[in-house]
Amino acid sequence: MSIADNTTMSRHGGSPLQRASAFFGGPRGIVWARLSLIVLAAVVLELYARLLANPTFFPPLTEVAQSLFDTVLADAKIRTAVLNAIWQITIAYGLSIAVGLALGLAVGWTSFGRRSTFPIILLLYAIPQVVLLPLFVLVFGLGAGSKIAFGFSHGVFPILVNVVAGMRNVNQLYIRGAQSMGASRVDLFRHVIFPHMVPSFFAGLRLGMTMTLLGVILAELYVSTQGIGYYTKVFAETMDPAPLYAIIFLLAVIAITFNEIVRIAERRFTRWKA
Amino acid sequence: MNAPAFRAATDGSSSPVVISVKNVSKRFGEAKSNQSVLALDNVSLDIRKGEFVCLLGPSGCGKSTLLNIIGGLTDASSGSARIDGREIKGPTPDAISFVFQESTLFPWYTIVENFNIALKFQGVPQSEWSDRTMKALKSVGMATFANHYPNQLSVGMRQRVNMARGIALKTDVLLMDEPFAALDEQTRMVLGEDLSTLLAETGKTIVFVTHSLAEAVFLSDRIIVMTARPGRIKTVVEVGEPHPRSPDFMLEPRFSELRNELYALLRDEIRAATAAMRDPVSAPVSLHGG
Repeated sequence: MSIADNTTMSRHGGSPLQRASAFFGGPRGIVWARLSLIVLAAVVLELYARLLANPTFFPPLTEVAQSLFDTVLADAKIRTAVLNAIWQITIAYGLSIAVGLALGLAVGWTSFGRRSTFPIILLLYAIPQVVLLPLFVLVFGLGAGSKIAFGFSHGVFPILVNVVAGMRNVNQLYIRGAQSMGASRVDLFRHVIFPHMVPSFFAGLRLGMTMTLLGVILAELYVSTQGIGYYTKVFAETMDPAPLYAIIFLLAVIAITFNEIVRIAERRFTRWKA
Repeated sequence: MNAPAFRAATDGSSSPVVISVKNVSKRFGEAKSNQSVLALDNVSLDIRKGEFVCLLGPSGCGKSTLLNIIGGLTDASSGSARIDGREIKGPTPDAISFVFQESTLFPWYTIVENFNIALKFQGVPQSEWSDRTMKALKSVGMATFANHYPNQLSVGMRQRVNMARGIALKTDVLLMDEPFAALDEQTRMVLGEDLSTLLAETGKTIVFVTHSLAEAVFLSDRIIVMTARPGRIKTVVEVGEPHPRSPDFMLEPRFSELRNELYALLRDEIRAATAAMRDPVSAPVSLHGG
């Protein structure tokens, strides 16, 4: 071993294990660890599909990726379906946030409102809503309306419940402190109760996001004649799994994107918790 | 020994009365119900401008209740409290500010935002906010932490800032409800010295609730010793030492004498309070029937 080799070795930290630990221990270590996990999973899946699995049910990842571009994104109808799903989710989610927040604030504002209304809300939340899906279709029709309504009915509850929960148990000391400084009821709401509620609201937003997505997709699977749900059904029934997985991948991307938006907003508004 | 610029502590008798408490009683719960508790029984007290008055007594003697009545956060069941001659019916943020036991700084606002919101609640014009905030923070040596969130500070630092907020509100009267209770002893002593200096410099009137005998002697001009529940004024102890007080005061024989005197006064009350907790029916009556 030459001297030059030795210096490079020591600069990069000796044994492979040490080198790996230096790599993942760096400032971007977590990101690298996550990326490596994803790559590892992809390789394992690819090998499994190529060597062991039944190709009718389990296509190789490379094939899925290919069909994402060749079958799914190349088809104008599927592109439209994906875009439709995105805006339906956006509208349903927006409605869930607006209504959940407004209703939650109204219910949680007084102890009377909370005690009279909240148990009923929890009861409604507990109903498995999928049994109501046919009713939604009857009322809102076969188009976007029923999907948005069903997404909304899923998304609104977690947000509403978390807003109400977040307005409870405000430390009395903060209230008394604010009152002693001359805070009005509106001041108390704006500067004490509302900020106290915000972290819980974000927990509701994240949960509400997945629920909205679930609601919209469920409704699509049930009724749609051209939506994402329709295509998943078609590819599943025609034993064509590659584009099916490609669509699932697209849905995951949509979910992750929405989730990231919420997460960034959360970090911005709850910096004080860190 | 002390700089002549500082007023003598005992000149309080010539200053005007700021806070006047007359025959105040406070009962929690309905009077006829056996669940009701008489927390304060016919308490009368005058506090003069620039005085540092401690309310000292066993747990549950109603000292915090009395402070809340003066601050307008609790109504008296009978009797009245006045500030500058006005009857107290609710919070009077223009005259009185509170410093509570735990930090009441809002965790969702930075230190500066906390001060701003306090000044906003109090109705101070926005142009004065930043000047007042920075002055008050400097006075407790916390100016560099202005943009921190409360959770980023230690408990002692938070309480320092909390005190500064009370100062920034610039009221004549500061009500402090066991402000140092959550602090370690060293921090307590340093903050106590700061408070004594502050009193000497600003001439604020301070009413201070505490459990600590040493704290009461070190800080007060007058110590109001209260009985166990129902709270009455048992006796008043004058300290007669000018502000600002240095830690040397604690080494003087008079300091320990006063401290021992207070302990002797309180011992019976503390026993009564403990007995009342064990046997709520018979104990309090037998120990002080008057």
